Amino acid sequence: MSALVAAGVLAGLPFLMAQTNTSKAAPPPAVVERGKALFGQDCAFCHGRDAGGGETGPDLTDSELVASDVRGDKIGTVVRNGRPENGMPPFKVSSQQITELAAFLHQQGKKADTRPGGRRGVAVSDLQTGNVEAGKKYFNGAGGCSSCHSPTGDLANIARRHRGLELEKRMLYPRDARATVTVTLPSGKDMTGTLSFKDEFTVGMTDQSGWYQSWPTNQVKYTIHAPAEAHVELLGKYTDDDVHNLMAYVQTLR
Amino acid sequence: MRTRLRIMKHLPETFGGLRLFVLALSLVLVLSFLASDRLLAQGLDPSTIANPPADSWPSYHGDYSGRRHSRLTQITPQNVPSLGLAWAFQTGQAATLKSSPLLVNGVLYFTVPDNVWAIDARSGHQIWHYTYPPNKGLHIGHRGVAMYKEWLYFITPDAHLISLDAKNGKVRWNIQIADVEKGYWSTMSPLVVRDHVIVGVSGDFDNLPGYLRSIDPETGKTQWRWDATPPLGTPHAASGGMTWMTGTYDPDLNRIFWGTGNPTPVLNGKTRPGDNLYTCSIVALNPDTGKLDWAFQPSPHDTHDWDAVETPVLVDADFGGMPRKMLMQTSRNGYFFVLDRTNGKNLLTLPYGPVNWALGVDKEGRPIPNPDKEPAPDGRLIAPDEAGLTNYRSPSFDAKTGLFIVSARPSWSIYFAKPADGTYGWAGADYSVWGKGVLEAIEYQTGKIRWSHELGGDAHAGVLTTDSGLTFTGDNTGNILALDTSSGATLWHAGTGIRMESSPITYALDKRQYVVTGSGGVLFAWALPETIQ
Repeated sequence: MSALVAAGVLAGLPFLMAQTNTSKAAPPPAVVERGKALFGQDCAFCHGRDAGGGETGPDLTDSELVASDVRGDKIGTVVRNGRPENGMPPFKVSSQQITELAAFLHQQGKKADTRPGGRRGVAVSDLQTGNVEAGKKYFNGAGGCSSCHSPTGDLANIARRHRGLELEKRMLYPRDARATVTVTLPSGKDMTGTLSFKDEFTVGMTDQSGWYQSWPTNQVKYTIHAPAEAHVELLGKYTDDDVHNLMAYVQTLR
Repeated sequence: MRTRLRIMKHLPETFGGLRLFVLALSLVLVLSFLASDRLLAQGLDPSTIANPPADSWPSYHGDYSGRRHSRLTQITPQNVPSLGLAWAFQTGQAATLKSSPLLVNGVLYFTVPDNVWAIDARSGHQIWHYTYPPNKGLHIGHRGVAMYKEWLYFITPDAHLISLDAKNGKVRWNIQIADVEKGYWSTMSPLVVRDHVIVGVSGDFDNLPGYLRSIDPETGKTQWRWDATPPLGTPHAASGGMTWMTGTYDPDLNRIFWGTGNPTPVLNGKTRPGDNLYTCSIVALNPDTGKLDWAFQPSPHDTHDWDAVETPVLVDADFGGMPRKMLMQTSRNGYFFVLDRTNGKNLLTLPYGPVNWALGVDKEGRPIPNPDKEPAPDGRLIAPDEAGLTNYRSPSFDAKTGLFIVSARPSWSIYFAKPADGTYGWAGADYSVWGKGVLEAIEYQTGKIRWSHELGGDAHAGVLTTDSGLTFTGDNTGNILALDTSSGATLWHAGTGIRMESSPITYALDKRQYVVTGSGGVLFAWALPETIQ
């Protein structure tokens, strides 16, 4: 094992040294080309061949994570672990391949910024067509938003924390909202915690001490409290104007 | 057999008694071979694909109908709680299994991109493993191989068709079916109809015509090509109409039925006014000539990437009191269609989940796209999302209950397109907002949902039904499920560690019924304990 690691370190050494010596310079074209080929095989279907977004995957040329990445230090983590919650599988890739992928993505990011005809994808400026007053009215009226949210409470400064497309997606459905679950044990005792897992057969929570516990669903009674699911009901009720107006209003909460 | 008869023909008449003796001996030999179920393997006679015996699954859909329904009844709603693992096979690959295995002569053949395996269907041990060299072309998934006599047909990510010797995985020939340099790739399992190997292509990132090609199984020569869209450069015409899922076949009508994909540019429809035939269509073609008989378009002028490639399922049954030869599709755009497959006329069009992009249904049974729901610079809220209300995962039709069972995904998304996105390839952006997996059991004559079974946050597994009244599929957390087909109630489950993204198959060997499912890089064979059978 240690021999293998040592061999790997040695093999990578000339490359790392070359990178260190030219850290400000663009990576060699051959590295970018290899990254492009790899991206074309395994990533392009979801993220687009130019990394500007494709079927289901986001635009990586406008990604904050990609922008803050240095030679694959952040990209590598995402590629190797995937993002199962968003449907991205993990990939088996070598460190060298991560460097190549990162080189290609950084080059694509630069290209997108300087592209004639303007940037593709969704810019913050694209999401300014709504009417603030109409949005506020919807928030406090037909949308029913104010029954759970407050512009001076949980939503105070929300538009400073999130912006543009990310804010709009979060407004329509907050994917990372946590549900709580109360399980009534056979003894009659109630336990409440954060819902950590749920399928037809198992319900799992993170209890108040931070431990994971689970039960077969057919042996306990349980109640899930998931207030964010109210967003799903709204999806079938919004007009496009409602969405744009609400977005205009939410963007004022800063 | 043929050799033996020839010997007898040459025996002189005077040896009549001996002839009888030889005949009797031959019969005994034949019967003893049958009893041990071990005739010399002969490969796959293509005529058996229409009516496969219980010990085979000789094509992607199992038979030509695409119903994914088996006559096997050993595993029943009563004994299914005892179902357990017979064996598992580990591919050792990171790629997810999305293929349907073929079963011929006791051997399973299945794939992930660049890889084909032959394994023993009784024990799960490997017989051979073929790997294709590294290549360009998207490695997004692979649906499996096709078989004709002793040859397998395997499509590569760079859109080559390879004929392999089924005995050992050795390459016989390798031909190009589309040019990867232009932006094509391929993932599909070919359809064998007599002496035609019918192959399709993928490619959404370039403005390219989709097409079907019929290949001679012996020589690899192209017999015909059918183009889904007009030649490139035709003014105001769409390109696209990719043919990336395996079609179905009606031997009596001698027609293949195939779904075609979305037009390109994908999200921007401005440069391609009109219906954009034959994209997002179901087409009926003559397999001998490639000539179009009829076409029906589930999504005229699509701007949401809703390929109409989902299995065109062939059902012969009553509709409105009349016996009909029908074709049914739960389309990615959210609508369930029933057609008369003799002429393509529509019998029923109804949504099977939330849809908000159509103004209604026209007199031909096609949804009318709402221009206000085309992707726009400030976004349009659309149901379903781009992955659709269903997708490549196979549905199943159960004749006894009259249920069309589909793994659906009610979903919402926002679609964007602006001038800067251009008119080439994707030409816009879309983002899923929310979705969940639900198995829907649709009554085919009314389109009503008889029961729904929640599958969790997403849906990727196909469906199999059996004559004993069982429905097999998978949920989003990696459980394989056996449900009561009449009610949707869960009767059995087993966790496999990762969600299933393929469609189950079943077969019987040595009087034991197996259900085979793949999740992650592992193929699982489920059967009853031998003591219970």
